Amino acid sequence: MSNLLSVENLTMKFGGLTAIDDLSFDAKNNQITSIIGPNGAGKTTVFNCLTGFYKPTNGQMFLHKEDSKISLRKYTDFKIAYVAKVARTFQNIRLFPAMSVLENLLVAQHNELMIASGYSLFGLLNLKTYRDKEQLAVDKAKYWLDIIGLTHRADDNAGDLPYGDQRKLEIVRAMCIEPRLLCLDEPAAGLNPKESAELNKLLKFIKTEKQTGILLIEHDMSVVMGISDHVVVLNYGKKIFEGTADQTKNSKEVIEAYLGVDE
Amino acid sequence: MEKKDIIQSFKDSLFTGLIALALFGPIVGLRTASKGEGLFITPQWGVVFLLVGLCIIGRFLINLNSARKTEITFFSKFTSKFSAITEDKAKHFAITAILFAAVFPFLPFTDRYFMDVAIMILTYIMLGWGLNIVVGLAGLLDLGYVAFYAVGAYSYALIATTFGWSFWICLPLAGVFAAFFGILLGFPVLRLRGDYLAIVTLGFGEIIRIILINWYEVTNGPDGITGIPRPSFFGLPFKRSPDEGETSFHLFFNLEYSTMHRIIFLYYLILVLALITNYFTLKIRKLPVGRAWEALREDEIACKSLGVNPTNTKLTAFAIGAMFGGFAGSFFATRQAFISPESFTFIESAIIVAIVVLGGMGSQTGVVLASIFLIGITEMFRDLEQYRMIAFGGAMVLIMVFKPKGILANRKPTILMHGDKK
Repeated sequence: MSNLLSVENLTMKFGGLTAIDDLSFDAKNNQITSIIGPNGAGKTTVFNCLTGFYKPTNGQMFLHKEDSKISLRKYTDFKIAYVAKVARTFQNIRLFPAMSVLENLLVAQHNELMIASGYSLFGLLNLKTYRDKEQLAVDKAKYWLDIIGLTHRADDNAGDLPYGDQRKLEIVRAMCIEPRLLCLDEPAAGLNPKESAELNKLLKFIKTEKQTGILLIEHDMSVVMGISDHVVVLNYGKKIFEGTADQTKNSKEVIEAYLGVDE
Repeated sequence: MEKKDIIQSFKDSLFTGLIALALFGPIVGLRTASKGEGLFITPQWGVVFLLVGLCIIGRFLINLNSARKTEITFFSKFTSKFSAITEDKAKHFAITAILFAAVFPFLPFTDRYFMDVAIMILTYIMLGWGLNIVVGLAGLLDLGYVAFYAVGAYSYALIATTFGWSFWICLPLAGVFAAFFGILLGFPVLRLRGDYLAIVTLGFGEIIRIILINWYEVTNGPDGITGIPRPSFFGLPFKRSPDEGETSFHLFFNLEYSTMHRIIFLYYLILVLALITNYFTLKIRKLPVGRAWEALREDEIACKSLGVNPTNTKLTAFAIGAMFGGFAGSFFATRQAFISPESFTFIESAIIVAIVVLGGMGSQTGVVLASIFLIGITEMFRDLEQYRMIAFGGAMVLIMVFKPKGILANRKPTILMHGDKK
């Protein structure tokens, strides 16, 4: 399996506080790489560095593309999603609540549609080329809605969906930008066991069917251990362990720092 | 209803009366009048007691109503019915409204005064629709919208008086200038949100007004610009006695000369301009850029994470909103034939924002209703002179009490997967 992402010596300091300390790890194509660790270990900070919300103090992050590699440091803000094709979801869901489910998925395809609409000119003239492209975008949205079983609610406001469906919608919305790397920040938070099982299914589907690597932050061990190919454990901004799910479960350091012992 | 509730309501309304007394007492009760040398205070306690009495009775009625937990007041009944009509039969309503607007000048009761009010309402509707792009769709609270109105008016006035170009050339130019100023304002406020954005836009509005006052060489300062050319009907001016070699409108169509011709023409002009604004907004809302505006209003961070460029998106909203403000400004200049910075004060911005917010953010029909309601009510009470602002304030309070989200708060998706179910 080819390398997709390599993080090298990543360090992020906020004033005197070192949130991430010299972190290096790799993530592979068509694999789920989980980042786990206690609260405040710096997991979300890693995501924010990867997705351009923070500029790391030190270190490099490369996204591999066939033979070439691009440095994520060069892209900030919206360009991470637009150019580098790194998508993310958020710990506290960030949908567009007053817009319909379908509209949410169309906003994710904004850049292609914008070009197709000739920066609104062709769209205003209602040319066929634009209408066709828009139909394609709707079809893509329908494809993803079928997968998460929300097609019948496509015209309802995203904010009216049940919590679990909102989580799933946020993930497929990120998938609509056709990302090469999908970063999920606690997608199972607040889900009941049935919903997390559905989430596992969805993530496995994305991993096997799409050319996408998944980076996952999660506290729900049933999700992490069930689907992760690779686990990175952080504590106080440092990597304390790296390995497969089974190795992680049995690692002494990880149990001590995070997992704890069953009584 | 229990006795306890009534006593409670009564107590509450007495308390309201106390507050009203404290407010109206000094404001209305003590009137200064100049007699001979110096000012003397003339008390008018009768008016105060009337107003306080009205407040007590009004409050009591509202309390009785809410105690019954049903909405039976005339107003809420009226508005809920009204929104039901406009949602279900939005298209019919729009067509009826446009038809009515089209025949309005020829209705038997329509006189000069009605036409002037109608033109004013239509101007505000157009401004409201323009601002709706910025505030309603993109969610950028712009308290300096009047600046673009001013830029449009002054651009039109300056170009028309300097180069003598016709209205139809100056109009788009004024729009372009206003759009340019929209981008100019857009750049520094890109990183601002909410209250901070509102403050900066408010400042921008004032800056433009102060520049207009002080840049005497160009704008003629507080004296304003006079002699702005009136629009002509496809080259036919509205004049009693046309210049040598010219044919005026009434001669060409063999009509009796009447000043109403020009008024009616202006009416249709602003009607068409407003409808163009509306059509454009309805169209662009359904395009990617329109959806990006609304997404930006909902969640800017999520937008960035999906690769939507927030800078471009905001700037287009500012530019397009400003452009329509500029068109309205040109119309204002050509209608008045005289403009001065006094027409572009903060109160204008406030009224336009009020129209958008009270109409229901993002609702095109709401803007129409709010304009008619606010401007119409203020006009109806014109005889009360300075007290008519009370009517304006009262209208705002009424809407906010009964329709806190605006007259029409329902948003329809821009695209449907399953088609219209109804």
